[in-house]
Amino acid sequence: MHEADIHDLSDDADYAASQQQGSRSISRCSSDKRSEPSGAEVVFLKDNVAIHPTQYASERIRGRLRLIKQGACLFMTWIPYKEIGSGGGAFGHSDARLSDKDRNLYSIRAVPVTDIRSIRRHNPTLGWQYVIVVLSSGLAFPPLYFYNGGVREFLATLKQHAVLVRSADDANLFLLNDFQDPLQRSLSSLELPRAVSVASTSTSESSSSSSVSSERPDDGRSYSEYQKHRQKSNDPARDLSIQVLEKFSLVTKFARETTSHIFREIHSDNLNTNDRKNQAPIVSNSNNDVDNSGLESASTESFVAADPIEFDKMTLVWGKPRQPPLGTEEWVTFLDAEGRILDSKDLRKRIFYGGVEHQLRKEIWKILLGYHDYDSTYAEREYLSSMKKVEYKALKRQWKSISVAQAKKFTKFRERKALIDKDVVRTDRSVTFYDGDDNPNVMLLRDVLLTYSFYNFDLGYCQGMSDLLSPILFVMEDESEAFWCFVALMERLGPNFNRDQSGMHSQLFALSMLVELLDKPLHNYFKQKDCLNYFFCFRWVLIQFKREFHYEQILRMWEVVWTHYLSEHLHLYACVAILKKHRKKIMGEEMDFDTLLKFINDLSGHIDLDATLRDAEALCVCAGENGAALIPPGTPPSLPLESNLLYSQQDEL
Amino acid sequence: MPSRRRTLLKVIILGDSGVGKTSLMNQYVNKKFSNQYKATIGADFLTKEVQFEDRLFTLQIWDTAGQERFQSLGVAFYRGADCCVLVYDVNVMKSFDNLNNWREEFLIQASPSDPENFPFVVLGNKVDVDGGNSRVVSEKKARAWCASKGNIPYFETSAKEGVNVEEAFQCIAKNALKTGEEEEIYLPDTIDVGGGSQQRSSGCEC
Repeated sequence: MHEADIHDLSDDADYAASQQQGSRSISRCSSDKRSEPSGAEVVFLKDNVAIHPTQYASERIRGRLRLIKQGACLFMTWIPYKEIGSGGGAFGHSDARLSDKDRNLYSIRAVPVTDIRSIRRHNPTLGWQYVIVVLSSGLAFPPLYFYNGGVREFLATLKQHAVLVRSADDANLFLLNDFQDPLQRSLSSLELPRAVSVASTSTSESSSSSSVSSERPDDGRSYSEYQKHRQKSNDPARDLSIQVLEKFSLVTKFARETTSHIFREIHSDNLNTNDRKNQAPIVSNSNNDVDNSGLESASTESFVAADPIEFDKMTLVWGKPRQPPLGTEEWVTFLDAEGRILDSKDLRKRIFYGGVEHQLRKEIWKILLGYHDYDSTYAEREYLSSMKKVEYKALKRQWKSISVAQAKKFTKFRERKALIDKDVVRTDRSVTFYDGDDNPNVMLLRDVLLTYSFYNFDLGYCQGMSDLLSPILFVMEDESEAFWCFVALMERLGPNFNRDQSGMHSQLFALSMLVELLDKPLHNYFKQKDCLNYFFCFRWVLIQFKREFHYEQILRMWEVVWTHYLSEHLHLYACVAILKKHRKKIMGEEMDFDTLLKFINDLSGHIDLDATLRDAEALCVCAGENGAALIPPGTPPSLPLESNLLYSQQDEL
Repeated sequence: MPSRRRTLLKVIILGDSGVGKTSLMNQYVNKKFSNQYKATIGADFLTKEVQFEDRLFTLQIWDTAGQERFQSLGVAFYRGADCCVLVYDVNVMKSFDNLNNWREEFLIQASPSDPENFPFVVLGNKVDVDGGNSRVVSEKKARAWCASKGNIPYFETSAKEGVNVEEAFQCIAKNALKTGEEEEIYLPDTIDVGGGSQQRSSGCEC
């Protein structure tokens, strides 16, 4: 079996039994196959596998663990049983205190085994055997307790279908790679040096020397190259999963803590039609009694993996599910009679988890951006807007009144205007709001940017600003309001455009610190490849992912980021989340700086926003205060420190 | 000493914002032109396979942001370059005046081993605009500047209409190859790169 045989696992009891178990699984799946029109086979099924969200026995959630093979892909699912009414079953009462919704939050829906990094087996002397599954993103599912045993069979089945190797450091740690993908074979030597060391330096460690030559990976790489990699990546912080495991309980607690809250809100607002629809199959599945035969539930379950919506959802790791956007009815509940926001933190939290409906953006963005205060009344906001309109007109007149003759002697103005003219005609022209010849909105974009370059003459105009303004003008549909919102945004993002690039450098530096904290092996990889300047993330950071998402998605992303709910620097955690998502590919293909930059640029339009936000949130929580402490004060979009308030700009345009 | 087998040739395109760097790259690699290219943020590149004699090379063409303010990023993007293409807009005097800045900035940041002989190619782009009536930089003036900088090859191009783009990049590739190979492979003075008539170009110095 390919690389699964690299390591001598014969001393492991679970593996001793694996061949038989494994072949039994195979034969079962082939018989299943006949009854599976969709082509999905259940290759492993275990009932009474439980999650313990809390220490209370009453809150344990039992469910069914499955490995499902579809085509070349193997998926792991764990679906909780539906609550059975009192007396409904032998185990019926134990879950009494958790609602179905709460329990469904813990569902593991078709996670590809290729996304699993490692599985740790625990054999406590008292109590049940359990495993902890760590994903390649670095996040972990809560422990899965095998009430009826079966850990051995589970691992054996995995070994049959994927590359599973046992860590050299820890007999209970199993590392996974997809055996279908030859690139990942080289990856296993790259990122899991200790595991490999069993094979290559085992002479002194009781394995026979013949195994050294016969058991090294047969992946076409020369042995010396292989050795080189092993040494290069031989890092003391070698096992990410250990670090992650320390953190998983935090994530778990965090998810649990908020579960009931979210669902209460969703329920009361009755806005979750889509979510419910997606969850419906799960709920109906769990209608199946505990005693249902594996075959029957296999056929019900298989479409979980076949359904594209569910495929989309399986990237759900362990952050909170996203909520539907804030709608008008709910919005007014955040306001007092005169329009003040009662609890700004509460509002920011709500928007953080779901964004806002489009028709509310005009009103809410002004507040999120800081143009209007949270505790301003309707009347105060209206008054401020009218005053600001007058002020805007005056600012605009400053350049409007420059005559042709004056412009001839005003090079800086001419050049600045030419630069803006060039950029507005190539900003979001495929968006209806800006498309077509002589579109008046393009002229508005130009006017606001030129006015801003007079308002903040030292900073002037810089490429990227038109990208930041475009969605704001689109939402505001008003020149003056768009201008003042842009001014407010630039209070925070202005340093991105400093001539000395200081704002960008500080953010990219903070990003490198966060990656070092949250994914040490990836950090070491970037270091080895001389990529620590993170310039490949330049565009992401400069314009807050504007070019990476579709237009309507960027509106959502920005309002979430602007809440500054968990962190002012959620966008940096989003960078980490996306990099982690692709870490396997980045390291497996040994991307150098150039290739990495190209890879990152080409991700544009292919990034899943909800998954990114969820992962960013989870990473932000994982990093906690350590993460916050790594980001130097004044790093944009934090407000600049006193000393940075003045732009020390040399002359340019 | 055996010859170094170079297969990747790195080319950097520099020039003021809006002179057509992205368009030139896309016209050469994809044979396409669009009015909708966005301003380049950071940098990006496209690759194209080119053949000289019986050898295949990958031309890696880097497109960079044109605003001066982003020049400090150059350090990361310019390193290892084999040829630098300087682009200006024949209809914008300032973009021509800035060629010298771009050239010097490149030499500082890329710090090639032999700056005196590092190959540049200059492209005067957008010759199609307004039937040539709005042009402000004459071909003569441009050629004079190129001559003064060590006979830099010069081409007048239209990325929009695909005029001279192929010829220009043939020359660029040859120059890049020359740097890449350095003295390790003997190159005869004249290589016929296959056909392209170069009416408006000064020809290639290789």
